[in-house]
Amino acid sequence: MIDALIIGAGPAGLSAAIACAKQDLSVVVIDEFYRAGGRLLGQLHQEPDGTWWNGIEEALRLDREARALGVDIRCGVSVYDVSRTPGGWNVSTTAGKMETPLLLIATGASETAVPVPGWTLPGVMSIGAAQVMTNVQRVRVGERGVVIGVNILSVAIARELQLAGIQIDRMILPPASSITGNAGLPEEVMRALLRVAHLAPSPLLRWGSRFMHSHWMQSLAVRLYPSRGFPMWDIPIQLRTAALEIVGKAQVEGVRIAQITPDGQPIFGTEQLIPADFVCIAGGLSPLAELAAIAGCPFAYVPSLGGHVPIHNDQMQTALPGLFVAGNITGVESAKVAMAQGKVAGLSMAHARGALTDLSPLTDAIRDVKAVRQRATIQFHPDIDDGRALVEKLALAP
Amino acid sequence: MDAHQLIVCRCEEVSLAELMETAEAYPCSARELKLRTRAGMGCCGGRTCRVLVDQVIEKVTGQTPSHSVPLGYQPPVRPLSFQLMGGRNK
Ligand SMILES: Cc1cc2nc3c(=O)[nH]c(=O)nc-3n(C[C@H](O)[C@H](O)[C@H](O)COP(=O)(O)OP(=O)(O)OC[C@H]3O[C@@H](n4cnc5c(N)ncnc54)[C@H](O)[C@@H]3O)c2cc1C
Repeated sequence: MIDALIIGAGPAGLSAAIACAKQDLSVVVIDEFYRAGGRLLGQLHQEPDGTWWNGIEEALRLDREARALGVDIRCGVSVYDVSRTPGGWNVSTTAGKMETPLLLIATGASETAVPVPGWTLPGVMSIGAAQVMTNVQRVRVGERGVVIGVNILSVAIARELQLAGIQIDRMILPPASSITGNAGLPEEVMRALLRVAHLAPSPLLRWGSRFMHSHWMQSLAVRLYPSRGFPMWDIPIQLRTAALEIVGKAQVEGVRIAQITPDGQPIFGTEQLIPADFVCIAGGLSPLAELAAIAGCPFAYVPSLGGHVPIHNDQMQTALPGLFVAGNITGVESAKVAMAQGKVAGLSMAHARGALTDLSPLTDAIRDVKAVRQRATIQFHPDIDDGRALVEKLALAP
Repeated sequence: MDAHQLIVCRCEEVSLAELMETAEAYPCSARELKLRTRAGMGCCGGRTCRVLVDQVIEKVTGQTPSHSVPLGYQPPVRPLSFQLMGGRNK
């Protein structure tokens, strides 16, 4: 009989497994990808201090450490159902059913789509798919691409594609519609982008930050924004241009674009067809909470955390006995935060099994999550602290 | 752009126009919109369009999402083979 089952071998799941195994718990980790590491596998970026964050190396390090501690990691196995039993949880996987007293769901986040006319053509992919093909599978996604959707994730991944020698012609916005939300509004996009100014040594950000003092100045900045855009690592970022349609017969051949007004409306007479053989669409990220929903967890809707998240306390326990959550399923944040949360969940599970004689490692780990969050280079949302506080409050409510 | 025949749910081939028109004709919940159009009911289980169906409802009816998940999840959350469900291989 195992002590704990962990769904997801990303930074959260692996860190949790390591923390449990160090307290002598017997742990199994299940992941549907063929390799452990989760979203770490695609990550490669430079920190403000000049050092590089190499996700593949981090994933290897966690995988090795977990296996050395005796953790049983099973890749290529999907979990499709979870249900409660008198003594814990029954987990249905594509490799059979498993019983466990303690269950940790660390399934991460998924990308949200932004539909653009023509998006069903071969050669159109999500920005995350381009990241996996480039950095994990080492497959060239195309010769000349256009990125639709400008946000922290797409800017970071466009840079990764460029480092791999793939040309990104430009980054533009999706066509404003009922289902594009803020992603099609130049002013909103600009405001969100300026929050990540420290990540990119770019004239756009230096130019833009001068305007950020007031709302009125921000509107002015968007009105004055040059149509050819500002380059970021030589990739033109065109906030006043939108994709109207992706065109091609049997696959992507180009993108029909137009300049747009500050509120996202196409300007008549500015239409143009630009050639491209692949297109990346970048929406946002939202917590992948399907298994927690099936388990029967109470949820909270918290936009700053990426949408609906399972309610949990600071020890990463949900309201259901023996069920824990960690990582991006609890809110979209960087990999380092996911690791810190995973450690908390692992120690909490060890505590639940009576394996933790001294509680100070758990209290230290909880404190560490907050410290890591404060120092995080990549902040997916400015109000993460408020979102976290709300969830903790809901967890305490009777 | 909203009138465009752009596909939102690929499995069931439901367009944005169809979702918008249905939501306007029957001011309803995301669940009802799903049942009326079949958006999100195909073999992938709504992995891509689920959020978009929620957004159409939010936009048309002005309903802001509540704390409960608007479109429920049902197992299995991944497509499975009949063999796995107890069928025979031959
Ligand atoms: C496309 C994309 C790019 C990102 N880029 C960055 C970046 O550059 N920098 C950064 O700091 N953060 C980035 N993030 C955020 C990223 O989610 C976190 O950095 C971190 O990886 C979250 O860790 P996690 O362990 O919670 O989840 P993940 O790393 O996502 O791991 C979850 C794991 O669970 C598995 N899984 C999910 N469901 C099931 C199931 N039903 N059965 C079996 N296995 C399952 C998945 O296969 C996956 O391996 C990115 C996220 C995405 C989606």
